[in-house]
Amino acid sequence: MKTKISQVFLRVLTLALALGICPLLGLAQEDPDPNSPTPVLLSAPDSTRALAVSARESSRIALYQIAPQAFAPDSKIVIYVSNIDVMKDEGASAFRVYAEDSRGREYVFPVDGLKSVANYRNVYAVTLRLTDQAGYWEPPLADGDILLRLTWRGLTSNRVRLGLGSMGGTIQDDPGAVPTPVWTKGSSLPTIPTEQPSYVGYKWSGDRLRFMEQATFGQTPALDSRIRRIGLRAWLSEQFQLPYPSAGNPYPNQPLKPGSAPADCDNDQVTVPDVPVTCYRDTYSMYQPQAWFLREALYGDAQLRHRMAWALAQIWVTSGVDVQQGRHMVEYHKVLSANAFGNYRTLMKQMTLNPTMGDYLSMDLSTKNNPNENYAREVMQLFTVGLFMLKPNGTLDCLEHPFPDMTTCASTDTPIPTYDQTTVNNMTKVLTGWTECNNGCPNSVSGTPNYIDPMVLVNGNHDLTAKTLLNYNGAIPADRDIAACTGCTGTAIAAYASASMDHALDNIFNHPNLPPYISRILIQQLVTSNPTPAYVGRVAAVFANNGFGVRGDLQAVIKAILLDVEARGDVKTDPNYGKLREPVQLTTNVARNFGVASYDGTSLSDGVFVGRGDFNGMSQIPFFAPTVFNFYPPSYEIPGTGLNGPEFALMTTSTSIQRANFINTLIFNRINVSNPNIPNGTSLNFTDLQAISTSDPTGNLLLDELNRRMMHSTMSSTMRSTILTAVTNIAATTSENYLQRAKQAVYLIATSSQYQVQR
Amino acid sequence: MKGSRRDFLKKSGSCALGMTALATQMHYFGTMSAMAQRVMDSQQNSPDAGYKALVLLFWSGGNDGNNMVVPNHSDGTISNYAAYSAARGTQGLAIPQASLLPIAVPRLGGLSYGLHPNLGPLTQNGTTIVNNGIYDLYNQGKLAVVTNVGNLVRPLTKAQYQSSAYQKPYQLFSHSDQVNQAQTSISNTQAFTGWGGRVSDKMTLANNPSGLIPMITSISGSQLFTAGQTTLPLAINDSGTPLANVLNPAGFTNSGGAARLTAFNALRSQDLSSNYIAAASHVTDLAMQANTALASAQDVSTLFPNTSIGRQLKQVARLIKDRTDLNVTRQIFYVQIGGFDTHTVELTTHQTLYTQFSQAMRSFYDELSAQSVQNDVTTFSLSDFGRTFNPAGSGASVGTDHAWGNHMFVMGGSVNGGDFYGSLRPDGSGTYFPTLTLGGPDDTDTSSPRGRWIPTTSVDQYAAQLARWYGLAPGDQAAVFPNLVNFPGSFSQLGFLP
Repeated sequence: MKTKISQVFLRVLTLALALGICPLLGLAQEDPDPNSPTPVLLSAPDSTRALAVSARESSRIALYQIAPQAFAPDSKIVIYVSNIDVMKDEGASAFRVYAEDSRGREYVFPVDGLKSVANYRNVYAVTLRLTDQAGYWEPPLADGDILLRLTWRGLTSNRVRLGLGSMGGTIQDDPGAVPTPVWTKGSSLPTIPTEQPSYVGYKWSGDRLRFMEQATFGQTPALDSRIRRIGLRAWLSEQFQLPYPSAGNPYPNQPLKPGSAPADCDNDQVTVPDVPVTCYRDTYSMYQPQAWFLREALYGDAQLRHRMAWALAQIWVTSGVDVQQGRHMVEYHKVLSANAFGNYRTLMKQMTLNPTMGDYLSMDLSTKNNPNENYAREVMQLFTVGLFMLKPNGTLDCLEHPFPDMTTCASTDTPIPTYDQTTVNNMTKVLTGWTECNNGCPNSVSGTPNYIDPMVLVNGNHDLTAKTLLNYNGAIPADRDIAACTGCTGTAIAAYASASMDHALDNIFNHPNLPPYISRILIQQLVTSNPTPAYVGRVAAVFANNGFGVRGDLQAVIKAILLDVEARGDVKTDPNYGKLREPVQLTTNVARNFGVASYDGTSLSDGVFVGRGDFNGMSQIPFFAPTVFNFYPPSYEIPGTGLNGPEFALMTTSTSIQRANFINTLIFNRINVSNPNIPNGTSLNFTDLQAISTSDPTGNLLLDELNRRMMHSTMSSTMRSTILTAVTNIAATTSENYLQRAKQAVYLIATSSQYQVQR
Repeated sequence: MKGSRRDFLKKSGSCALGMTALATQMHYFGTMSAMAQRVMDSQQNSPDAGYKALVLLFWSGGNDGNNMVVPNHSDGTISNYAAYSAARGTQGLAIPQASLLPIAVPRLGGLSYGLHPNLGPLTQNGTTIVNNGIYDLYNQGKLAVVTNVGNLVRPLTKAQYQSSAYQKPYQLFSHSDQVNQAQTSISNTQAFTGWGGRVSDKMTLANNPSGLIPMITSISGSQLFTAGQTTLPLAINDSGTPLANVLNPAGFTNSGGAARLTAFNALRSQDLSSNYIAAASHVTDLAMQANTALASAQDVSTLFPNTSIGRQLKQVARLIKDRTDLNVTRQIFYVQIGGFDTHTVELTTHQTLYTQFSQAMRSFYDELSAQSVQNDVTTFSLSDFGRTFNPAGSGASVGTDHAWGNHMFVMGGSVNGGDFYGSLRPDGSGTYFPTLTLGGPDDTDTSSPRGRWIPTTSVDQYAAQLARWYGLAPGDQAAVFPNLVNFPGSFSQLGFLP
C-alpha cells in the first residue's frame, strides 16, 4: 500500500517536471537501498576448494555429492555462487570470473551461463570455460590450484581454489579465507571478509558521494545536503530543468574575427599596439572559453548538464589545435550543452551542420569534385557506430576466421567491420557541398566567416549521384540507398541534399551499434572504465528505446547509467571497477571539496588554470585535445595488464608527477594573481578542517572527516595509519600547525592512487 | 641545489631500487617471480657488448611520402617525373622538378630521384638555419630510403587485395587503427602491446639488468609502440626541461615535507588489490625512481632547432649521453612530429614540417657524432599511412586523403645509406618504387582510383630488420613479430642495416 502511494506520487512528480511546473522539491523522496549483496562463491565444507563440477555432470549430481577434483584446461565447468539477488534478465553477462595462477598472473574465464539451483534457495550455478578470454598472457599454468574470484555489480566474491590440471601446488589462500559451504537447514552463512565502509554520517552517504563524483565535477557540502534531502531521482529531474550556463557565468560573447583582425586587436603590439593590451586574448583566443568552462565546473548549478556536455565533447571532439577562435568553440559547445539532455539524433544533425566541426574535420571544403572523407569517416568511426559490429551489450560480434589460406593467425575470431572504404566514399558524397553561411544568414557579415549559423548548401558542390550507405540487419532501404538526382537544378538540389543528409543520419542513427557503442563510452566517462556487458546492455536497451518507443533519449540514458545497480552502492570491491580521474575531474573534485575561491579567499576563482606548467603538464587542456581521437581513446588498455582504462593514456611518468605538483600548488601555494592573465587567482579553504584538526590532537577526527569526504569511507587501515603518521609528525602546537596537519592529510589523499582512481 | 635534492630524496628512502624491487612491479607481473619468468623469456638473448639505440620518429597524421621522394628522371620504363607531374601538377600539388634535391639510386640503375627541397640546407635572411638538413646524409651513405612500406597481414597483389579471400589489415585508411598497426606490427587483430615494448620485454633483463630507467623512453606521451607485457616506458617532456628537473615532484621542502614524502612513497605499495590503483601507483613508482636516476644528467652541446621535434630529439641525445650513469646498454626512444593529416594546404604544411624534422634529425646525428655513438644509434620513421597520389582539392588549399604504402627514412652510421630498399610485388613484377599511375598495378582501385599504393614491404619486415640490428635474438623474432612468417624470404632481403 505504502509503495503504491509513493509510486503515484512519483508519477505526479515526473509529470509536474515534464510540464515545467515547479513541484515541491523540498519533499523527501525515498531512494531504494543502493547496495547489492556481496556474492559468495561456495566451497567444500572443510576447505576453500571451490564447489565445482564439470558442466556435463552438473545436471546429474546433487550439490552434496560433489567431490574435490581437478579440471583440464579449456574444459567447461560449473561453480556455485550464493548471496546474490539477480534481477529479471540479469544473466551470465553480469558476472565475471577472474583467475590467478601460481605466477601471480590474472586471467579472465568466460561465463557462459547462470541458472538457479533446484532445491537450494539463493544458490546459482555459474557455467564457465577454463580458457583465458583476456589473451594478455599465454594460457595459465595447468600445474595445480588457481584462485577464482567472481565479480558482480562491482563487488567481488571471496576467492576459492580450483585444481587446474591437478590439485595442490604453491598458491596461498587469501588471508582470513574460510570455507564457504552450501547453506543447509540450521547452519548460517559464514562471514566473508570484505572491505566495508566505516560509516560516518547519514545513510548511504558513501553512495551519495560516489554519485556526485559520477554526475558532477565533484561534491560540495551544499550539493550533498540537497541530494540527501531530495534523493537521487528528484535531483536528476531537477538538473534536467536548470538553466545553463549558470546565472553570473554566461557563455563568453566574443565577436567573430573578420578575415584579418583589426590592427589594434591583432596580438601584434609592435606595429600598432592593441587596446587594451589583452584585446586579442579576450576577443578571439581560447582564453575566455577555457576559463569559463572551468568556472562553470567549479561553481555552476547545472552540474549534470555541464558534465554531460563535457562527456559529449570527448566523443564529438574538436580542438583549439585547429579551431582558431574562442567564439568558434563556444558555438560548438552550445550544440553539446543544448542537446546534452535531448535526443542523440538531433545532436548528430546539429553537429554535422556546425561550422566549427565542419572546419575541424574539413566537411566545409568537401565538394563533389574534391570530396574530403574526413568528417564522413569520423562521424561513423568515432561519433556513432564505431569500427566493428557489436552485440547489444557492447561486446564484439566476431566471426569464425574466414581466411583459410592463412598459414598462421593470432586469433581464431575476427571482428566484423561496421563499414568499409566504399561506405566512407558514399557517406562523403552525401555530405558534399555544405559550407559556412557567409551571406544571407542572421549572423552573416561580409568578409567574416560565419561560425554561428549552421552550414548551408552550395548547390553546385553537391554530389548528385546515387549512394549506398551502411548496410545492416534492419537497415531501412530508403535511408541506405539514395537514388541519383538526375537532371536536378536549383531548389531541387537543395531539397535533395537536405533529404539525403537526413537519410544518411537516420541510416547511422538506426544502426544497431549506436546504442551499445555510445552507451559504453558514456558509462566510461561517468562511472567506470570496464563495465560488465550486462550494464552496457541495460543502458543500451534504454538508448534504443526509452520505454515510450523513442530512440536516443539522453535523459533516459543518463538515468539508466547513473541509477544502475552497477553504478550504485556505498563501496565497490571488484579489482577492475572504477576509473582513473582525468585531470579535469581531479582538479575540480579537489577544488570543489575544499571551498575553492580566489587567491585571497574573498571572491571566486577565475578558473584560469590553463597555461600553468603543472596544469598543462597533466595533458588535458580543455578544448585542446591533441587530435579528433580525444585526449585518450575509449579503448585504451593499460600496459602490463590488458585492462581497459581510457584515462590511463594520460598517466605517464611525466603526468603522474605533474598531478602531484598541481595538487601541491592548490593546497600549499595557491595560484597567485598575475595581471593581466590571472585576475583573481585560486585558493582552497581549509578553515573547517583546521577546526576539526584543532579539536583532536591525535589527528583521528581529521582522518575520519577526510575519509568520508574524499574516500567515501573506504580508506584502508594501512593507508589511514600511513597518513596519520605524517599528520602527527607536525607538532600539535600552534593553530598554523593544525592547518598544516589538515593540508598534509589532504595532499596525501589527493595525490594517492587510492584517490586518483575513482571507485 | 641539484645535489641537495638528490641527497634529500635518498635520505627519504626513494633512492634507486632495482626495477623489480618495486612492490607495484611485483603486483603487476606476478608474485612468484617476475624476475624468473623474465629470465625464462629472455634465455635466448645474451648480452651484447657495446651500446645500441633505436629511435622511432613518428610522422603523425599520415605523411604524404609521394611529395617527399619524387622521380627526377625521364626514363620511360619506370614512373618518371612526367608521370608524377601529370597526376599532381594540374591541381598545383607537384613539386617543381628544378627544386628537387637530386639523389642517385644504385638499386634503380643509378637513376635520379629527388628529395623534397626542405630536407636540404635552407637559408633565412641569407643565413643557413641551424644546419644542412638530412639531404647530404644520403650522399654520405648515412641515410636510406625504404620504399612503399605499410601495414600488411600478408603480401598482397592487386588482385588479391580486391578479393575477399585474402586477409587485409583491419580498418585501412583509418588513422587510429593504422597508427596502432604500425606501432604494434600486428594488422590482423587489435593488439595490446607495441613492437618496441615486445623487443624490450625480450631484451631488458639480458642487456639492462640493473637499468635505472626502463629500456624505452617516450618523449611524446603514452604510445602503444612503447608498451610491452612487462615493459612500461619512461615518458618525459622534451628538452624544454632539463633531465634533472623533468620528473621533479614539488613541495616536499616545507613544514612536514620529509614525513609527507615518506608517506607519499609508502602509499604506493598499499591497496594494490585494485588493478587500477596498482597501475597508477606503478607509473608513479617508475617516475620517482627515474627522478633520482636523472638528477645528475648533463646537457649536450650541439645546437638543436627550437621546435617540438628538435627539443624531443635533444632530450633523447641527453639520455643517450647519460647512458652509463643510467646503467643501460640498450635503449629505444619514441619521438613524434604531428600535423601530417594534410587534407588541405599540404604544400605549405610540408615546407614547415619537413624543415622541422630534417633540421632536428641532422642536429641529432651531429650530436651523436660528437658523442661518437653515431654508429650505435639508428633513427627510423613510421607514419599512420601514406596519402592519395590523386590530390584532394586544388589551388592554395590542395591536399591529399588517407592512403596506405609510404616511403620511410632510416638514418645512422651503421645504415647502408645512399640507396633505396624495399621489395618487388609479391608476383615478382614492378620495381623498388611504386608505379605512379592512378588505377595502375600498385593502386588499390581500378575504378575511381585515388592512388592508394598497396605496400610491397610490410611494417613487420621493416621493423624486424631494425630489431635484428638492435640485437633481438633470431629465436625471439616470431614472438615479437607474429605475422612475419607470412612474408616468405623473411626480412633479410631488405638489407638497409647489416
